[in-house]
Amino acid sequence: MRRRPGISGLQTAAATRDQYRSLGENVAKIRTDLMMEQLSIFRSQLEEFARKHKNDIRKSPAFRAQFHSMCAKIGVDPLASNKGFWAELLGIGDFYYELGVQIVNVCLSTRPHNGGLIDLEELRGLLSKQRRSSRDPITDDDCLRAISKLKALGSGFEVFSVGNRKLVRSVPTELNKDHNQILEIAQARGYVTSEEVQVSLMWHSGRVIDTLETLMKEGLAMVDDGHPDGIRRFWFPCVGSTSGAVEAGSELSS
Amino acid sequence: MEGAWGRILHPLQLTDSGRPQLFPGEVECQLLDGIDLELEGQQQQQQQLQPLRSGVLTLTTHRLLWVDEPHQRSGASVPLAAVCRVYPPKKSIKAIFASPRIRIQVWYASDGRISAVGADRSVVLTLVCRGQANIDSFLGRLEQVLQSKAWETDKASAPGSSSVILPPNSSRLPGAAASNSHASHSKWNPAMAGVSGILRKEQEQWEEADKNLQDAFHDLNALMAKAKDMVVLAEKIRSKLLGGSGGQSMVDEEEPGSKQEMQDWLLSVGITSPVTKESAGALYHQQLSRQLADFVKVPLQRSGGMLAMVDAYCLFNRARGTELISPEDLLQACSIWEKLDVPFRMRKFDSGVLVIQSKEDSDGQVFAKLVILIKTPEALKVGISASDAARAFGMAPALAKEYLLTAENQGMMEQMVFVSLQTCLKILW
Repeated sequence: MRRRPGISGLQTAAATRDQYRSLGENVAKIRTDLMMEQLSIFRSQLEEFARKHKNDIRKSPAFRAQFHSMCAKIGVDPLASNKGFWAELLGIGDFYYELGVQIVNVCLSTRPHNGGLIDLEELRGLLSKQRRSSRDPITDDDCLRAISKLKALGSGFEVFSVGNRKLVRSVPTELNKDHNQILEIAQARGYVTSEEVQVSLMWHSGRVIDTLETLMKEGLAMVDDGHPDGIRRFWFPCVGSTSGAVEAGSELSS
Repeated sequence: MEGAWGRILHPLQLTDSGRPQLFPGEVECQLLDGIDLELEGQQQQQQQLQPLRSGVLTLTTHRLLWVDEPHQRSGASVPLAAVCRVYPPKKSIKAIFASPRIRIQVWYASDGRISAVGADRSVVLTLVCRGQANIDSFLGRLEQVLQSKAWETDKASAPGSSSVILPPNSSRLPGAAASNSHASHSKWNPAMAGVSGILRKEQEQWEEADKNLQDAFHDLNALMAKAKDMVVLAEKIRSKLLGGSGGQSMVDEEEPGSKQEMQDWLLSVGITSPVTKESAGALYHQQLSRQLADFVKVPLQRSGGMLAMVDAYCLFNRARGTELISPEDLLQACSIWEKLDVPFRMRKFDSGVLVIQSKEDSDGQVFAKLVILIKTPEALKVGISASDAARAFGMAPALAKEYLLTAENQGMMEQMVFVSLQTCLKILW
């Protein structure tokens, strides 16, 4: 393309640059699309191989290491056993152990958001997403069984019911820093309400209720339902000034 | 390793827990215990070498490693590239009663060190197997590993001569052999000129990559053959699409931020060579225990000195990939820590919760801090409660209460302080 002088020359040059730029953008987009396609092929193939050839992969340590490296880089979970009839009946085999590891994994990664307390339904949803290629859907019962196999590791993992929902707690009381945060809030007036906690810490209600109840069980909090406005207060005699505590003592209903 | 053996054998780095440090991509194949290392005949007398007694021999894809038992504090290695011949143990009547001996002929260089390069002489190393080891399977593995020559394929792929993906802006012609010669640069095809040339080049590159992808996943053997190339491709895709500064994530599923972080962390601490029953045999529990101790260091620091056993179970198994260990195996590995000299321990709370703790953050230190806290004028008047201690040390109140009770039980606090504790405990209940 010959350079032409004058204004038309400049305009042509500008137009040419634009053309090149849009071409470049198109090429980049096509390249990205192709790469995405390669990624999804890679992913589905890895998942299928992980499922079909699991035992063969494990036989060769050198190849196993390479396979795991591929899975980790692409974001494929190599734990992919099928349930199998006997596994489900007798609760044996790799399936439940793998599910156990995946469950704790999900709890660990959601812990910063929910403080170690997760709804069983949400857990199941996240697991199903992770186990895309598996032919058997994960049921609540599968999750509960896998969790029960973890009992040997100490009683930090618990499933309990609140209303008709089941919640899974993955942080044992001894390691739960949530309590300290409530105690901090309680310092101001010596007591907290569950609404106050929800607003200032932005937790959802299940997490608040669970923490307050644990603090009661630990003997650090006391319940006061006697206020005229009907809102339950949780008193913390151990924080705040002693005078505050004395006042609180006289206000408490027996 | 020092002394005369140190001049002959290659050095071996050990981790804090006494496990050998492996090269990237090096994987353990088999372990044998109760192995003596001797240098045959004249050389031994010349060098006046005492045999190395009773160690753990590890066969990896790249080397033979020997670590002394039981303390596992020093070790040596022999690169497999230097091995020229393996003599299996003689099968004779006498041999039934004696310990089997495997003799390995290795090259060595003029400085006396066993080496694969610059070596013109050979010497025979004898492995005396005094333990109850399965010699035949070991020999089989050794044969396999020597044939596959993993160290050579490593060298070949080092300068990036992978034929799968060519760098996008290279001036190499597509379809040229992986080993670029300068001659190919001069054969410049006019069809490759200009913009259409660039586009066509890109197209051909992608087609080649696609074809490789299809071929590799055709069946398991194909994948095993192309594994190295696939790992490179996976890394390339990851860095372009999945990684990068947060906003670049063009994958269409919602990966919550912490999940991506976790995946990245796992990538960096993945255990390439997990201890398995197949590789370690009778040494399984001990080696597993050591590998666990090496692994647990980083997660323990990240969680502030105390790691729940359930969390450790998940993280360790994730790092191992598909080689899962059962909860019982994990507990047993932790209970062996007492015997080995590792800086961690398992601790059980009254509520039944199990945690892993670093020996450095021992109870003694916490008690010392407690005593200091209790001696402040404020505390001397009203005593400290579990929540005060919790806030002062940044630990959960339940944990602080446990420490206070233990301190009281052990009579660690002085009488005056003891009374304060009683008072504050009354406030608690």
